[in-house]
Amino acid sequence: MKMKRLVSVLLAGVMVLSLVGCGSTEAPAAAEPAPAETTAAEAAPAETADAATGDAITLDMWCIATESDSNRGSYEKAIADMQAAYPNITFNWEAFENESYKTKIKAAVSADELPDIFFTWSCAFLGDFVKAGKVYCLDDEYQNWKDELPEVMLGNTTYDGKHYGVPTTMNIVGLFANMDLLKEVGYDEVPGTYEDFIACCDALKAKGIIPFGCAGKETWCVTEYLESVIEKSVGADELNDIFLGRATWNNEGVGNAVDTFQELVTNGYFDPAGIGLTNDEVKANFMAGKYAFYMNGTWNCADFAADEEFYQKVKVSEFPVIDSSKAKLGQLIGGPSDTLAVAASSPNAEAAAAYAMELGKLICHYGYLDGCGLPAWTPYGDTSQVNGLTQAVADICANADTYVLFGDTAMPADEAQTYLSYVDQVYGCQIDGAGFIEGLANDIR
Amino acid sequence: MADLKTKRKASEDFEEERYTLKKTNPVVKVIVYAFLVFWALINLFPIYFMFTFSLKSNEEIFGKNVIGLPHDWLWDNYSAAMNTGDMKLYFLNSVLVTVSATLIAIIASLMATYALTRIKWKMSGMTNSFFMLGLTIPIQAAIVPLYVLLSNISKNPVFGKAFGINTYASLIIPYAGFTLSMAILISSGFMVKIPYDLDEAARIDGCGLWGTFFKIIVPLMKPALSTIGIYSYLQCWNEFMFANVFISDSVHRTLPVGIKALSGQHTTNWGPIGAALCIATFPTLIVYIFLSKRIQESFIAGAIKG
Amino acid sequence: MAENNTLKKSKNRKELWKGISIFLFLLPALLLFVSVLIAPIAVSVYRSLQDWNGFSPGTFIGFSNYKELFTNGSIKFMVGLKNSLIVAFFSVFVQLPLSLLLALLLGRKIKGSRFFLSVFFMPVLISTVVIGQLWLKIYNPDYGLINRALDALNLSAWKHVWVGEVGYALVAVLIPTIWQFVGYHMLLMYAGVKGVSPDLREAAMLDGATNWQVDKYVVIPIIKPIIKVSVIFAVTGSLKTYDLVRIITNGGPFQTTEVPSTLLENMLFLRNRYGMGSTISVMLIILCFAFALLIGAAFKEKED
Repeated sequence: MKMKRLVSVLLAGVMVLSLVGCGSTEAPAAAEPAPAETTAAEAAPAETADAATGDAITLDMWCIATESDSNRGSYEKAIADMQAAYPNITFNWEAFENESYKTKIKAAVSADELPDIFFTWSCAFLGDFVKAGKVYCLDDEYQNWKDELPEVMLGNTTYDGKHYGVPTTMNIVGLFANMDLLKEVGYDEVPGTYEDFIACCDALKAKGIIPFGCAGKETWCVTEYLESVIEKSVGADELNDIFLGRATWNNEGVGNAVDTFQELVTNGYFDPAGIGLTNDEVKANFMAGKYAFYMNGTWNCADFAADEEFYQKVKVSEFPVIDSSKAKLGQLIGGPSDTLAVAASSPNAEAAAAYAMELGKLICHYGYLDGCGLPAWTPYGDTSQVNGLTQAVADICANADTYVLFGDTAMPADEAQTYLSYVDQVYGCQIDGAGFIEGLANDIR
Repeated sequence: MADLKTKRKASEDFEEERYTLKKTNPVVKVIVYAFLVFWALINLFPIYFMFTFSLKSNEEIFGKNVIGLPHDWLWDNYSAAMNTGDMKLYFLNSVLVTVSATLIAIIASLMATYALTRIKWKMSGMTNSFFMLGLTIPIQAAIVPLYVLLSNISKNPVFGKAFGINTYASLIIPYAGFTLSMAILISSGFMVKIPYDLDEAARIDGCGLWGTFFKIIVPLMKPALSTIGIYSYLQCWNEFMFANVFISDSVHRTLPVGIKALSGQHTTNWGPIGAALCIATFPTLIVYIFLSKRIQESFIAGAIKG
Repeated sequence: MAENNTLKKSKNRKELWKGISIFLFLLPALLLFVSVLIAPIAVSVYRSLQDWNGFSPGTFIGFSNYKELFTNGSIKFMVGLKNSLIVAFFSVFVQLPLSLLLALLLGRKIKGSRFFLSVFFMPVLISTVVIGQLWLKIYNPDYGLINRALDALNLSAWKHVWVGEVGYALVAVLIPTIWQFVGYHMLLMYAGVKGVSPDLREAAMLDGATNWQVDKYVVIPIIKPIIKVSVIFAVTGSLKTYDLVRIITNGGPFQTTEVPSTLLENMLFLRNRYGMGSTISVMLIILCFAFALLIGAAFKEKED
């Protein structure tokens, strides 16, 4: 029962978010009537009867839920449900490895060989395909589902006011802490203010414990730290405007925030070996108790929870506010990114759209239960078995004020890579905040 | 031919004798052996590493026990690797694709090299350079153009089923094509060493161009065949990019793509990957060790008067 | 007269037959080559003149991509080119001499030569993923073999984050790249060495030549065509280095270890700049081809 209350709180939180669209026109973030109680009741796929009674068709899907991916279980369960509900639809799905999938999907778009339904990342990644007219618009189909899928959750897949994607799970950046190490320096809780937080880092350093682990070989890991520092310094709205190209990078506040981040590096809070490590290695170090803090996506919750010994030690919380005149708690980095989309070239696009919607809902449902992330759809059923870390993240999200999507997902591909290369230089102390904003302002329109 | 053989046999015997003529300085000998053994250890280490890697957990791989023997021998990694997808099928697919591509590349390259090096014609030099263009093409640049081409072939009712996307041919032909230039380069390196007198002699015996090719040249190209075969194997067996893009159904999937599917988006369990890599590598290592005598004999078989 | 005519006719017929034969001999290779290799080159050249993201309609922009490639520093093409040339240099002047030395030693009927030959070749057969992981363990800043050895020798001051520091990262990539293919070139050259007629060797020995002299004056000149193959392969291969860079440094730190192939892939599939990616591949093709021709010419000159 506690969970149910939590879910309603979470939804209430969602309603007031100002999730911002990626397209050139902003999605109207219409507030939906709170549907938590009504939809919690059932999951039956009855409402799309038109698809169930249709002719026998075949639908193909590509995704990245490989056998060892944490989402695999939720995909398998969701697809099994769908196949039982729609025996007339022959559903074939193939899973590919994450990094190489990017190459594959782009080649497929170029050659017009997209499958009917495909996994994609939201914002700029899908946006390029939409601009080229390769993606089927889901506006009509969405009408059937708007009670269960809050429109704010479609912000990242809305272009020129039209919806093109079915979100599944969403994730935010969390500050994971090893409480055993914090206790050694006298902290029972993760410090709530920035001053306290820095004092804690100093204490850790004095005791020979490295405060932060961060994989310099994978720049997206650095952005998990940097973006949080910037957001908590200049506020979510300003950062969002910059990411979405509505404001220039030439922003003094950002420059100062970058300097703040660099201070953390130069003060020796980060593991100096981090510049040569991959995320797999850093994560293993964190779980082995080498670092006190690890800032990374909340998709890690399931893994941390799966390690019984480590699960007892780890806590997740929000990065403290640095400049309270501009930023506040509840301004988070993240949002729905994992998305299903339908190819415009599909001969059964309409049926595929209905199928994708329902499939997305089920994947979201099972994914949440497995602790793979937070639900973009209104949760239903018994969610009390979700692991404690994911529940803690849900608590954070329930108080969310604004989400800013990961910079490299929000920005167009070319700009995102330029941005990452500057982030890289900041982490390596090759440039300072002034150099960062100046360089980005010059290199990105 | 017969007297050529006896002659070779005689000279081999003589070669043995020659080493008794001159004793090598023992100090030099020790240094040479020390160097060879040292280098052998360096080269054997990766195999030991791969094998122990395949039996460890992430914890051991990342820090706890990097190069030692596994604390717990996780044979489960092997079943985890085998039960992911259909590794047996992927393995067979890889064998089929590699062998076919190698055969095609060998036949095409031997024929082309013969025309380029042993028949005199005006444009042979230029054609040879033209084929060398193939060495220069980065594989990444070919993905999209080839994919578009294959996609068009797929729509053709006659060839689509055999040569389009999601067929073995969609890998075999590009692989053979990408091996071709190097295969021609290797075989011309060997073919120019075959004395031209042999061609003349064959012609006097009444052999035409084709007769000379099949009866004289091909048998003498054995050392080149092994070298091309090995090159082609290296090109095809671990090839990932084409296999990832051109094949979208798991029925035709090859091993590298299957192994890659063992890593997840945010978390990767490296033990099973090591196990899968062992499964992919050890059979070929064993085959190589068995064949190496043959391969090395074939080198000697190619010994002709230079 | 008439006799002369028939002779001419038969000669013509012979010429024609020869032409047809040449064509037939080349046909399979040509078919493969044009469909798999020339077509993509043509497409790349065409796309390199466009501003194209890979899916939307492209716009023709002439040679702007080429200009940008050399003027826009953030593309890092010159860095990549420099790095691949360094790799090529070390391949030719470290890797190949080592391979040649091994091939010559093993060509001397040394005891156990078969064993050594098999063992030396093994790294080539092992997947690059394994080789990459192994070297990452060797370079790891915390528990890597190098840093541990330095600790043990009381040389902790010399420790470095090998793959994360400018200056060391490129060397860190270079060593495994060079090492992995020593065995391949060795086998290629060994096949050549074994192809040298024993008569020649032994004639030289009778004249009082030492083993080294035989190798230098008899064997090496004969296997020159094979050495040429190795050099061309090593240089074009180096310009296209890709696998180990991706695994070991992934172009970092600060893109100082990027090579043209990684840049090319980033442009094509990460940055959605297919036009610029094609430009890089065209430049790469031109460079590789120029090097291949140069090497061929250099070897020809020496032969004359």
